[in-house]
Order: sequence, then C-alpha cells, then structure tokens
Amino acid sequence: MNGIKRVRSLIALWVGRGVLRTLQLSGRRGTSLPGFIANRISVDLLFDLLAQLETSVVVTGTNGKTTTSALLYSMVSSQSTPWITNKDGANLAQGLLAALLPHATLFGKMRLRKAVLEVDEATLPRMTERFHPTMIIVTNVFRDQLDRYGEVDHALAMLRRGISYPGIQLITNADDPLAASLGINREFTLFYGMDECPTDLEMRNEVRDGAFCLLCGSELQYTRVIYGQFGFYTCPTGDFSRPRPDYAGFLQADSVALTVLSRTHGKDVEQFSVQATVLGLYNYYNLLAAVAAARTLGISPALIASALIAYEAPLGRMQVYRGQTERILALIKNPTGANSILRAIESDMRTKRICFAINDADADGRDVSWLWDIDVESFLLHSACDQYFCAGHRALDMALRLAYAGVPRDQIHILHSLEEVVFATQSEDTPVYVLSTYTALYPLGTYLREVSS
Amino acid sequence: MSDRVIRLAHLFPELLNLYADQGNIAVLKHRAMMREIDLQVTPVKLGTKLMLESYDFLLLGGGSDREQAIVGKELAPYRAELQQAIEENMPILAICGGYQLLGQYYELTSGERIPGMHLVDMVTKPGKGRLIGNIAIEWMEQNGVSKEQSIVGFENHGGRTYHDYQPLGKVLSGHGNNGQDHLEGLQYKALLGTYIHGPLLPKNPHVADALLLHALTYRGLYDELNPLDDQLEWEAHESVLTDLRVTSMANHIKTRV
Repeated sequence: MNGIKRVRSLIALWVGRGVLRTLQLSGRRGTSLPGFIANRISVDLLFDLLAQLETSVVVTGTNGKTTTSALLYSMVSSQSTPWITNKDGANLAQGLLAALLPHATLFGKMRLRKAVLEVDEATLPRMTERFHPTMIIVTNVFRDQLDRYGEVDHALAMLRRGISYPGIQLITNADDPLAASLGINREFTLFYGMDECPTDLEMRNEVRDGAFCLLCGSELQYTRVIYGQFGFYTCPTGDFSRPRPDYAGFLQADSVALTVLSRTHGKDVEQFSVQATVLGLYNYYNLLAAVAAARTLGISPALIASALIAYEAPLGRMQVYRGQTERILALIKNPTGANSILRAIESDMRTKRICFAINDADADGRDVSWLWDIDVESFLLHSACDQYFCAGHRALDMALRLAYAGVPRDQIHILHSLEEVVFATQSEDTPVYVLSTYTALYPLGTYLREVSS
Repeated sequence: MSDRVIRLAHLFPELLNLYADQGNIAVLKHRAMMREIDLQVTPVKLGTKLMLESYDFLLLGGGSDREQAIVGKELAPYRAELQQAIEENMPILAICGGYQLLGQYYELTSGERIPGMHLVDMVTKPGKGRLIGNIAIEWMEQNGVSKEQSIVGFENHGGRTYHDYQPLGKVLSGHGNNGQDHLEGLQYKALLGTYIHGPLLPKNPHVADALLLHALTYRGLYDELNPLDDQLEWEAHESVLTDLRVTSMANHIKTRV
C-alpha cells in the first residue's frame, strides 16, 4: 500500500481510538461512533485490520444475525483463545470497525486474530470485494417492513455477490428456499435444516416470500410448512428442492434439547445433543446455524454444550428478566419476526400477559402498516393471554390491531410511557412478554434490569 | 347471522397487497358483523373471471409499478362493465397503486407510461422524490351531505396525480395527490381513491361506515348503521392529528359520526 494511504489509515486509527477512549471515560458504549469517524478519515483502515484476521466468520441474513453471532461467539471464544465480535449488532462498516479498533495496537497490529462478525446484507458485498472471510453464514432471507417491492430480489442479489468468491465456506439454511438457493451448485457449501421439528398442520395466514422457484418461477410445492417460507419444498419442474442438510436438527415438542446429526457425503457421521437456552423455533434455527459453524470450525460437541450453559441472550432476543414478575423482552421489527415470536410465546403454556411497545422513529420505520400484517388472529386461537398492554408512540395503532383481531376491549390497556410497562404489568404469578420495536428496546432493557435486580 | 350480506371482491391480493390491505378488510368485516351484516370476502386472483354481478363492493390495494401494469392489463376487458357499475354507485375502494390504476396512465421517470383503466379522467406523473409521511385531510362534502370530518393515515408514493373530480379531502398536513394543490384522493359517486395506504380504515371508522352504507345501498338494503363504541378508533385518530399539530385547524371539524 502506498505511504499516504498508510498514514491516513494510521491517523484514522488514532482518532478512532481517541473517540472510543473518550466515550468509555464518559460511560458510553461506543458501538458505532468511533468506527464512523475513523471510517470517514480512511476507508482502508477497516480492511487493514480485517486482513490480519486468521479466522473470520461473517453472519448475515434478514433475521437472527445477532442471536446466531452471539451463540457462535459463546461457542468459539474462551479465555485462552479470545475472539472479536460486534455483539451489539452494529453491523455496518462503521460498527465492524468499532469492534476491531479496541484490539489494534497504536501501530495498527491486531492483538486478536479471530472474529465472529454480524454483517448487514447490503454491507456484505462491499466487504467481501476486498476481504474474503473464512466462513459466511446466511440465516434466512425475508422481506423487511417498508418499500417491500424488489427488496427480496435485491437482498438475494447482494448476498449472491457477497458470497461469490472462491474458497469461502458458506453455511446456509436448507429449509429456506431463498437462502438455500445461494448454495445450489456452489463449492464449499454446507446446509443446515430441521429434519424433525414440531409444526402444526394448518396453513397459517402468514406473508410468504419465497414460495416461487427462483430458477423457473413455478410455485414451490410444500410437503411440510414450518414457518414463513421455511419447510420441505420442491419445484414441480424438478429443478430445485430442499437440499439434504449436512447438519440436521431434531427437535421434539416440549423438549429443550436439540439433537444434531452431521452428515458427510450423505452418510451419517456423528450425533450429539445440546441443551438449548433459547426460546422459540426460530431461535432453534439460529442455534443450529451456530452449532453447524462451530462444528465446522472444529469445536468439539462437549465444548459447544458447555458454552450454551453459560450463554446469555443479547438485548431483546427473548432474554428473561426474573424478579417478582418474570418478563421476557423481544425485539420486533417486521411481520415475520413478530409472527415467529408470537409462535414462540404460544409454546409457553402458562397464562401470560403481553405488552407491545411500538415506536415509529426512523430506526423503527415511520410506517406502522406492518402491524396489520402480524398474524394476531392465529395467536388468539392458540394461546392463553389474559391481558394486553400497548405502549410507545404508536400504542393506539397496536391497540386497534388487537381489537380488530378480536381481543375484548376491556383486556387492552394503553400505557402512556415506557416506564409504565414495569409497574402496570406487575403480577406475582403471570409472566409478561414485552415485544418492542428498536427505539423502545434500550430504555425498556434498562427499566426491566432495574426491577429484576 | 341474518340474511343481510355484502359481497366484497378483493382484487388480486397476490399482487396488490403491498401494505396490509387485510387491515382494511378486518375493519369492514368487524364493523359489518357488529351490525349483523355478513361481509363475505372473495379474493379474485389473476386469471380468474371477474363476475362483477356477484359483488357489491370492490377493493383494489396498493402494488408496485410492475404489478400495477399486470393488473391494468388483466382488468382492461372489464372496463365498460366497471364504468357502468361505478355510474350505478358501486362502492370501490382503491388505494395507492390501485388508485393510480383508475386513471388514464401512470408515467414513470423513464417516460414509459403504464396504461390505466380509464375509469376516471386522471393522470399520474413522476416527480422529484417520494411523498412520504403521516397525513391528515379534511373530508370534503360529497353528494350534498356534509362530511366535515378529518381522515388520517400514512402516505408513501412517488407518482403525482392530477384530476378535476371532487377530491377526498383538503390536506391539513402532508402531501396528498401531487404535493402542490393541497388536495388528496378522489371521490366520484361511491368510488373512493386515495394515497392513504394500507390500514386506512382502522383509524377512520367514519370512512369504513360510509363504505358499508354505500355497499348496502348498492345491494338494495339501505339501512342506518347503529353507532359502535369507537373510543379507541377516535383516540388513535386524534393522536395522529396531535402529532401533526393540526388539532387547532381540525378543531372545527367534528370527528364524531
């Protein structure tokens, strides 16, 4: 690299580290800002640092990036071999840089050489253009909330470009036709999928994104629907069907253990079980993805299992706050994600309360139409929930959504501030699920931590 | 259930479902049910014959440019029939892409023109940037009946629409048809077109009831609709007005039916 670029990159490093230090001294988290500023000074710095990594795993996809990264990080990182990760989900270039900066010396040498990095789908191709990670995990491909037209096609095109370099190990979801399509006829691809899992027989009224064959456009036929577009699918013309997973998951109803069967060249190789400390079917997919990646990296089943016992879920990914009232906090940002969480809540047979905290700031999406795409009706048929609370700037929109789904109006309570969530939902014997959009998540996490400690 | 039935055709839900049309349908169904009216919804999919005489009410949702073009072609053979139904006061709710489709054409930034259905004399042209955000309008008088009420919602459209019909309302805050003349939507007989997308009806129960009345009348079952407990609906409605700081402007507008 030429001298000027090298100097710029070093200055960026020093400024970034300075900003990080200042933020830390004032007690802030510094998940993005140091990276943002450093990246403005030099776009090369990120790649200078990335290039020094010996092992790097990138986790991308629409939903489940943060949980999958956190699970994998807990499996691969130990005191003797620490890894780097962007654990707060800052997954654009600036967030990646902010995660790497603290581990670089003043001369730009990386002290740690292994990383699990969550990367946004749009950032992926820009990253892999210059840096080829060891492994890329694609969790799933769904449409997000706003401006949906072309979004799935666009996301797929970016992912396809991002993984297009030879030698990168791809690990992707066999049950999601969109994610699986990325691995068809590609070298160095491993698939994971649920060979067995509890599903219900009825077709739910969900938004399905991947129901068409990407090769010929025919409507895919499903012998089994798991959720969203996940399932056992095949194209009627025979050019595309669910790949046989190299890491197959077996999940029994009412069991907290996930059994994993690994196959090489179609032959069963080994089988082991891990205790799952996550909630919800969609989280078992994240767990299976992380296990497949960890096992491919050579981590033993025993180490994977012990890591899971100590695992703590990241903020808003169904972590549990115990206390006088048990509360479970989950982030919702699109209909598929919200539906997955409602399905997870259904599997909790206790009578429960649900609180929705819905904001419409830029980071949440200004348009709250998507609330009407949440399949509340199916949830009402399957679950025992006796009280609903609605908080946030769009509390009333959510209240109307519930009312028109058939929730009796006297069971719907409007809360006027986020703090009220803590007091209004207080109950000794009824757990409360708190479903929150992005900007309400951090304040809620703080309030819930305070009352549970 | 009584023998009072309204038959709603949801046109091409597989293409025009961009923004939660099921929200509008859920509201119509529920409000009908509360009046012991059975609202039957039939999704009419691409390739099936549209038997117009089997319906009392049409819903045309929002879609992308590409999908609008497909629907435009699909509906072209029904143009004369649809025109006659509109003249006979058949209620049609057309939203966003569905609204643009009612006119002569929708011109894209590339200059390409997506032909519309020519049901109303209206054109949609490209403009700089999209018109996005919360919107509040004053529902304008229609058919001699004063409708001095507000309508609130969310708009998100690139096209600018121009016509000389009675608009749905005057823009109190937001962009409306074209961002210039402060008018939003269109109403002609029982046809209602608007850029207020997706869940238009939950926060505007008066609009939902007006459409239900149109459908009852079209079916020859005219009746008054008994009032419902709409406290939550109006609170949500007011909350948008407050956010947009148009409460004072809208103060003279009585929001209760």
